[in-house]
Amino acid sequence: MSVYTGAVQDLIDELGRLPGVGPKSAQRIAFHLLKIPTVDAVRLARAITEAKERVTFCERCFNLAEGTLCGICSDDRREPHVLCVVEESRDIVAVERTREYRGRYHVLQGAISPIEGIGPDQLKVKELLARIDPEGVTEVILCTNPNIEGEATAMYLGRLLSPLGLTVTRIASGLPVGGDLEYADELTLGRALEGRRSFDS
Amino acid sequence: MRVDRLWLTDFRSYASAELQLAPGLTAVVGANGEGKTNLVEAIVFLATLGSFRGAPNDALVRLGAHQAVVRAEGERDGRALLIEAELAAGGRSRVLVNRQRLARTRDLLGALRVTVFAPDDLELVKGGPAERRRYLDDLLVAVDPRHDRTRSDLDRVLRQRNALLKQVGGRLDPDAAATLDVWDTRLATAGAALGRARRELVANLAPLLGSAYDAVASEAAEVHIVHASEWLDQGYAEVLAEGRAADVRRGLTLIGPHRDDVELSIGPMPARTHVSQGEQRSLAFALRMAGHTLVTAEVGSPPVLVLDDVFSELDSGRSDSLLEALPIGQTILTTAGRLPPGARPQLTVRVAGGDLTTDSPGVPPVGTA
Repeated sequence: MSVYTGAVQDLIDELGRLPGVGPKSAQRIAFHLLKIPTVDAVRLARAITEAKERVTFCERCFNLAEGTLCGICSDDRREPHVLCVVEESRDIVAVERTREYRGRYHVLQGAISPIEGIGPDQLKVKELLARIDPEGVTEVILCTNPNIEGEATAMYLGRLLSPLGLTVTRIASGLPVGGDLEYADELTLGRALEGRRSFDS
Repeated sequence: MRVDRLWLTDFRSYASAELQLAPGLTAVVGANGEGKTNLVEAIVFLATLGSFRGAPNDALVRLGAHQAVVRAEGERDGRALLIEAELAAGGRSRVLVNRQRLARTRDLLGALRVTVFAPDDLELVKGGPAERRRYLDDLLVAVDPRHDRTRSDLDRVLRQRNALLKQVGGRLDPDAAATLDVWDTRLATAGAALGRARRELVANLAPLLGSAYDAVASEAAEVHIVHASEWLDQGYAEVLAEGRAADVRRGLTLIGPHRDDVELSIGPMPARTHVSQGEQRSLAFALRMAGHTLVTAEVGSPPVLVLDDVFSELDSGRSDSLLEALPIGQTILTTAGRLPPGARPQLTVRVAGGDLTTDSPGVPPVGTA
């Protein structure tokens, strides 16, 4: 298999382990890195090292953070009584882009998926429960992905949180804004019809 | 629905081939091993992106080639239809319908519909329940492509629940029980959706199956088809709750749509075990034909019909009645021997040594003599 000598093959192997990078892409990136000036390659290496050293997970919400708390948890202007539960840190970025949400987050770091050996214990579920009382949380928005694992996770959390006497909501699924009905796939459109609301003028 | 012209590049045994098909009956004739079935397999591939013979996709690419290309020109609902499919040796495929790239393979379902009759169909009657479940589910998707999702959702939820059952190792602590509750609820929903869809399909299929059997069998008989799924009547959620202890002990979901069977009988006799091979073969044909008729009725036009080497198994009387009983549409049949006397092909394609030669009769036979 390995046609290249030591260091080159090591580099290709490491790159190939990254998500979304196959053997061919790994090879292309490796050769690119070998071709560019040393300073550029070293800058990349340093960026990786520094990020690994400096970036940790927020102690409270498990978002990426530099320091003990992430930018959102340390921001006093955020509404402290509403929590939006997401699967991954990158989902926070998506929700933040809406500029609709002013509360805080909780990152589960995954979704329940027995196939991959992930149960509630592997997720930050206990940590979520531990936040409810001290932070005076009154609403939890379950913002996991609308796929089989995400829905199961939302259902699990819903059952766990509802008895605690707070408002538990699930994000709606439906049509993209600004799109055309005719281009919507039948599943999304079906869900949008299911979740229709009465028209109040 | 019609395929008028078919091009193959590095598909199965063909480096390159072009084939014209008649709007009615096309006969593909050649000795065994010359590649007759590979031609019809290409048509089926365009409809399903898979092999009806159960071959893995990378086996469809000609040995040593990087990718296979299948292209077909035809007609659907009075409009031109062009389907182009590329299949890489690694198994990934890409499809364009009328030069539009499809976002999802699921969108292909329904672009071209094909009904295949093959000698292996005998397994529908003689084989295990899995064969009959696959028959029902394939038919569900052919009638309504949305059921592709019903089916894949169930598979996924079931795999998750089984993975969890395996992990708990026979003992269910309260934490695991709470997680299992969630998968039970999801499975109850997904399972009931599939169960109800199958049940409705069988109800629609039953009358068609009776008349289809009478058309091909040497003697008429009362044929029954029953979708056995007591769990659906009782309510799947309740059944899962009752069966939980057993499921935990075995580390497996023991009851549900994945264990359904379709019971077939001829008169009072269970077809799987108690009837002759000839009757089983007639019943297998009748199942395919009933499915074909149902899809024709639901969709509004008959799917392209592929009869792969089925006449070798039938006497001429039954071959003729099979041909007569089929809904009128495009039909492609392959045979290594003689054509049944009742078959009057508009085009005959001869396959020999990887070459295709087409001879059409001087005057196309219109109507019956």
